[in-house]
Amino acid sequence: MKKYLYLNLFILLALFSCQEEVHLELKNMEKIPVIEAIWTNRSSVNKVSVTYSRDFYDTLSNEILSEADVSITNLQSGNRIEFMYVDDLGHFLPLNNQVAEIGSKYRLEVKYDGQVYFSEGEMLAPPVLDSVTYAFSEEQFFRDEGYYVTVYGKIPFDRDNYYRVKIIRNDTLLNRRSDYLLFDDSFGTSILDNGFELGGFAFEKNDKVKLELYRLNQAPYNYLNQLVNLLFNDGGLFSPPPQNPTTNIYVENGNGRVGGYFVTSPVLSETIKISDEEK
Amino acid sequence: MLHGMNKQLYKAIFSFFYLIGLSIFFQNSSFSQSLPDRISGSVKDMTTGEVLPGANVYWSNALDKGVTTDTDGIFSIRPIDLPAELTISYIGYTSTLRVITEKELGKDIKFFLNPEAQSLEEFVVNEARENSNVMSLDIGKTNLPVEVLKNIPALFGEVDLLRGIQLLPGVTTAGEGTTGLFVRGGSADQNLIQIDGAPIFNPSHFFGFFSVFNPDALSNVELYKGHIPARYGGRLSSLIDISLKEGNTKRIHGEGGIGSISSRLTVDGPLLSDQSSFIVSGRRTYADIFLALSPDENIRNNQLYFYDLSGKLMFRIKDRDKITISSYYGSDYLGTSGQFGLGWNNWISSLNWTRSIRDDLFLDVKGYHSYYKYLIAFTDESIGFEWSNNFSESGIRGEINWVPSENLSLYAGAHSQLYHFAPINLNLAPESNLESINTNPKIGFLNNLFIDGNYDVSPVFSVEGGLRWNHYQQIGEGVNYLYENNDPANGAVADTVRFGFGENMKTYLGLEPRLAARYLLSESLSLKGAYNRNFQYIQIATNNSAGLPIDRWMPAGRYVSPIRSDQVSLGIFKNLSDNQFELSMEGYYKDFDRIIDLKQGAEILFTDNLETEILSGVGWAYGAEFMLRKNIGKTTGWLSYTWSRVFRQIDGINEDQPFNPRFDRPHDVSLVLNHKFNKRLEFSGTFVYTSGVAVTFPVGSYEVDNQRVPLYGPRRNEDRFPAYHRMDLSVNLKNRDRGRWWKGSWNFSVYNVYNRKNPFSYQFTDIYNNDFRVDPSPEDVITSSRPGVIMTYLFGILPSVTYNFEF
Repeated sequence: MKKYLYLNLFILLALFSCQEEVHLELKNMEKIPVIEAIWTNRSSVNKVSVTYSRDFYDTLSNEILSEADVSITNLQSGNRIEFMYVDDLGHFLPLNNQVAEIGSKYRLEVKYDGQVYFSEGEMLAPPVLDSVTYAFSEEQFFRDEGYYVTVYGKIPFDRDNYYRVKIIRNDTLLNRRSDYLLFDDSFGTSILDNGFELGGFAFEKNDKVKLELYRLNQAPYNYLNQLVNLLFNDGGLFSPPPQNPTTNIYVENGNGRVGGYFVTSPVLSETIKISDEEK
Repeated sequence: MLHGMNKQLYKAIFSFFYLIGLSIFFQNSSFSQSLPDRISGSVKDMTTGEVLPGANVYWSNALDKGVTTDTDGIFSIRPIDLPAELTISYIGYTSTLRVITEKELGKDIKFFLNPEAQSLEEFVVNEARENSNVMSLDIGKTNLPVEVLKNIPALFGEVDLLRGIQLLPGVTTAGEGTTGLFVRGGSADQNLIQIDGAPIFNPSHFFGFFSVFNPDALSNVELYKGHIPARYGGRLSSLIDISLKEGNTKRIHGEGGIGSISSRLTVDGPLLSDQSSFIVSGRRTYADIFLALSPDENIRNNQLYFYDLSGKLMFRIKDRDKITISSYYGSDYLGTSGQFGLGWNNWISSLNWTRSIRDDLFLDVKGYHSYYKYLIAFTDESIGFEWSNNFSESGIRGEINWVPSENLSLYAGAHSQLYHFAPINLNLAPESNLESINTNPKIGFLNNLFIDGNYDVSPVFSVEGGLRWNHYQQIGEGVNYLYENNDPANGAVADTVRFGFGENMKTYLGLEPRLAARYLLSESLSLKGAYNRNFQYIQIATNNSAGLPIDRWMPAGRYVSPIRSDQVSLGIFKNLSDNQFELSMEGYYKDFDRIIDLKQGAEILFTDNLETEILSGVGWAYGAEFMLRKNIGKTTGWLSYTWSRVFRQIDGINEDQPFNPRFDRPHDVSLVLNHKFNKRLEFSGTFVYTSGVAVTFPVGSYEVDNQRVPLYGPRRNEDRFPAYHRMDLSVNLKNRDRGRWWKGSWNFSVYNVYNRKNPFSYQFTDIYNNDFRVDPSPEDVITSSRPGVIMTYLFGILPSVTYNFEF
């Protein structure tokens, strides 16, 4: 809802403001490792990537760290799953395509250059995803003309309700800053009961739409929320001072900095193809 | 249930008002006549009947035996050997001399002064005594006459009080396009802006582009930023005391203007008799009309307006009593396509009764109510909502002023304030899948007793001392959440305690000593010093620098302490060239305790657990302010320079180390000039130069979740925007005065004359296809991508024209 307020603010600013590209002299900081670890019950999305930050104006790709020892350990069973770097993909994958098990707690460890980076997370039970439908909608002020998808399901939990929906259109993940769909139970848990329409996403006929629903732990949910806020932060009067999202990855000896996040989550997915007939 | 402490307090408050009532009831004319050792009366404008506050009244052969009229134009002076000649003078008016005999002792004498014909050529910015800059005990106090304000070149030609105040030393802004004030290191919610004694919660229109005050409706503006007398209180950093104009008692009079974005009209005149008057004033923008002309349908379908209305009634009863009733209503609305709307309103009302009980005893009683509401509505079958909130302050204040001798003046009084912050109201569309939220009201009850006195110890040394005692309670109806380990920052809610209406939830006591002294080194040179302690019991929970209409106010309670400031200030004041120039230099050090900031990622708009989202710490600020002001002559204005620093230290921010808030702007220069060429033509100009705001720029970037993200260092606000500077000019041309009832004038103003591109924001983002305007959609073909910085700036060179009139 806050975004509607800002929308108005931006309309107002748009009436009076101009923009241009400028070059600012920026300080540079020693590069820091950034770990992105996705650990789910679906092997196709599991990965651990370790990269370095770079100077802001650098146009080269971020340096990838391929030499690290990466593992995830099931804290209940003690089962340790080693990860292996895959050159073509630029990240680490678990040996034997292993996946996370519902109800287990996991510890991520990344060892490199004498440092141990670690994080922990719990693989929560997934909500219920019943069906996905779509319907055509005429153009309105806040929405383009097109087909809009509605998700039906059930959230049967009274805690740990932190969700993310990823939308993949025709095999391409929608990944603009405005494409993030994160919600918690601030407005209750009945959001899926009567259908949750994905209002910001208009599809066309023949689009193949895949939805992935994640149930996150609070820390990675906060990380993603802060990431989105940062992507929208323009450093102006109406924005809070920009800060890096709070990582849930720690350095074992307490020294050194690290960025990124570790997410452990069940994944539910559904794919539909938009046709003439409404479904 | 009321606790014992409350009962004692209420007794004290009621006793005060009871005594006031008794003193009025039992005082009678014979009593006042039994003390015929004073001569009292009033001073008014002969043409309009308006009272003249600050007029000098003195014996012609004893110049040191003089007084000035109070805000109601009333004076009381001790007689010398009668008969003697009394002089009444007021800048811009012809002085009056009158021989007073013993027969007139104890009588009320009315003086009517004639405006001087040549006063149009003189420019008087200060209605007080010519050397009051040096003589008074005021330190860190500035008067901004409305006539001066109206001459300052304005954005879109809209004369703006708060922008005018930003030109004074010690006052900074967090950025262009906002009317938020940051006074001597305090944040914007630490300013008490009051209209006829009633506070206003949100003093801005259009998200802060304009302030809510229609200049035609204002009479006087005073800014206290150093020494705030003990009879005022409630905020840490400043008091902006605004008086609405009273109508004249002679004839119907009107003034107004037709501007580039708004028009305004004010009408005033006598009401029933020459002992009462009215004034009504209104202003409305017509941005909606321009929006309708836009070729862009999205802009065309917007609605965008604000308006404000104010009025004041004045009734004078036998020259001893005066009652005024003031009201202000302001409203903003921004809507899009009838689907989305955002509006907010301020509504303020006050009733003021002043009485001259005796020649040396004055009473001032005030009751007020200030109400603020916002509403955001989105019309949609499934995701529509109406989100609104309101809050208010109601108060009653009584003050007795006793002047037992010429060198002693005492004030005593009580002030009760009730803050009410309503629960957030969220109505969802019938088919919405969301569930509404549940928050609780928050009520603060603040009672103050104060005593304050001015004493001229010797002809060269004067002191003012006062004490203000606060008794604050958060009272029910409300909820206190109990957290595991009593730690709201980390613990989960363990229990919930509900309180019924009036039940005490948390009590804080505060004692605020205020002290000021002035030592005259010569008639034109003085040294002044002051110490002030202030408590503040409500504040805004925010981490942006601009006030938003949806800001969440938070009263002190179980987990949030009142904030406190201590300020020491010293100043040297010098008048030059027969009081034509005022020169002042003030230094200050100010300490803040228990100020709050927000945790990273704090969600404060809908939560009922605000205490879990905040961090608390300390702050300090210091600075030196220099001001050279010319008040009289064809050329008037001021040059000010402020050097200041502001720091905050809050655990959980900036690695727990001190940091500068955004509004720390060490160098601040303002030049305000006005020159009258002749009776018809005058020129005004302003130039401002300010260090850039303190901000955080990225130190690198990284990739995560398919995004390129700016990387920030661990420290906050260690970078700076470029310095801000701007020049505005205006010309005011009056139509020839042919003796007609209608007088018109044209104001041509140019904002940002040399088109300086002062940054409003910098966005660190990817630039696609070498064009910063490209915001790629999935259909776009992206040929290149690189990191870049996009600067947004608000106003380039901006001319405007306003037609002003008077009848």
